[in-house]
Amino acid sequence: MKTLPTLDDRAVVRLSRQGGFAAIQATTRPREIAFARCSIDQRTRICSLLEGCVPLASPVAGGGDQRFYQIELRYREGDQDDQMVMKVPEDQAPAELVRLWNLGELL
Amino acid sequence: MNDLRSFIPPYILHRIVAHGSERQRSSAMSTLAHVRTLWHPPGPPVRTASAAILPAPGKPGQAQRSVHDAQGKMLLPGMPVRLEGQAASGDPAVDEAYDALGASYDFFWKVLGRDSIDNKGFALIGSVHYGQDYENAFWNGSQMVFGDGDGEIFERFTRSLDVVAHELTHGVVESEAGLVYADQSGALNESLSDVFGVLTKQYLLQQTAEQADWLIGADLLTPRIKGIGLRSMAHPGTAYDDPLLGKDPQPDHMRKFVITQEDNGGVHINSGIPNRAFYLAAKGLGGFAWEKAGLIWYDALCDKRLGRETSFSAFAELTVEHARRRFTAREALAVQHGWSQVGVDSTQEEP
Repeated sequence: MKTLPTLDDRAVVRLSRQGGFAAIQATTRPREIAFARCSIDQRTRICSLLEGCVPLASPVAGGGDQRFYQIELRYREGDQDDQMVMKVPEDQAPAELVRLWNLGELL
Repeated sequence: MNDLRSFIPPYILHRIVAHGSERQRSSAMSTLAHVRTLWHPPGPPVRTASAAILPAPGKPGQAQRSVHDAQGKMLLPGMPVRLEGQAASGDPAVDEAYDALGASYDFFWKVLGRDSIDNKGFALIGSVHYGQDYENAFWNGSQMVFGDGDGEIFERFTRSLDVVAHELTHGVVESEAGLVYADQSGALNESLSDVFGVLTKQYLLQQTAEQADWLIGADLLTPRIKGIGLRSMAHPGTAYDDPLLGKDPQPDHMRKFVITQEDNGGVHINSGIPNRAFYLAAKGLGGFAWEKAGLIWYDALCDKRLGRETSFSAFAELTVEHARRRFTAREALAVQHGWSQVGVDSTQEEP
């Protein structure tokens, strides 16, 4: 089982809905969440949500015009910037992930 | 770099392999090997829509359709509404899907001699009214699915025949070549679906390459959107220019190839390049596009040498070779010219 990296207050989470026959950049509606602007409670809940997405993620999501949620994590690892990308197929995406992307809200 | 496994798109891994440190390269190569184990090999689709009502097995040349109604839910396949041979239901989405699946089957059978998705009469299942205001159509490995659109940007996705044929073609491409859905092979996968999607429409309308509009999804955008379709194969990058949607980002030449982390490496963006190459080849060959260019592209798709991670250039070489093999050097030259005009080197030797 893969795990999330440690996300401190320098971490940024970018969520977008990608792919589909009508793949148009404007409809991906990317949402960026800077941990620096989140409370500890919010960060904890987001990390818990992201951990739940790890086993759902697939590098081959999107085939045949199927949509997927792309989770991009930008964070510091030691003294350098690092990045992780997860792709969660739309039909497996947790409702809480969809809500966070769509409304910027946690349940 | 941390453990890369499962998280980094293949095209980024390829870049890391090319430019990263020794440790990064090693990790990226190991990850690529893992990712490759996840890719489905080429082969016929697997029937997983177990609840689908299938029509009785038919004979070659006869489509076997069943259209289901997902009733606004995201559960497949939904309730069966219209099986092969049954009368129109009165629901436009159901009847459009039924007719379009039939037209797509007919195109593949009559023009290319292919008996459905797997060339063995695979039953065609379509589900309509999927989700709420769902702005998409897709092939999920065993059936086709169509949303109703939101009515503000997109109309229902069954309105455009080429969209239905596009999704069916994804099944054909999976069966024949299993092109990996990322980067150039992914853009080629998308382009092939556009090619056979648009040819299905041109065949039904009996339009020559000169007469056709070469638009994908011409009936999908609502009147509120400033656009003529989702993609233009003739002039990629010109299908829409709208305050809400932005401008069509498709490139029409390799010098404008888009490197991006979005959309699996821009599979719906860079498909503009091979799309235009096909259009130019078809125009150069003249007449009905399915009679020469379509056959040539189909021969290349079915060529067992076509790699799953093929480049535009490798596919282009196959098309030139098949043009020469099926027709003459004149046709090979027209195909080569189409590719060269979009900046893709299509041949190791003169045709």
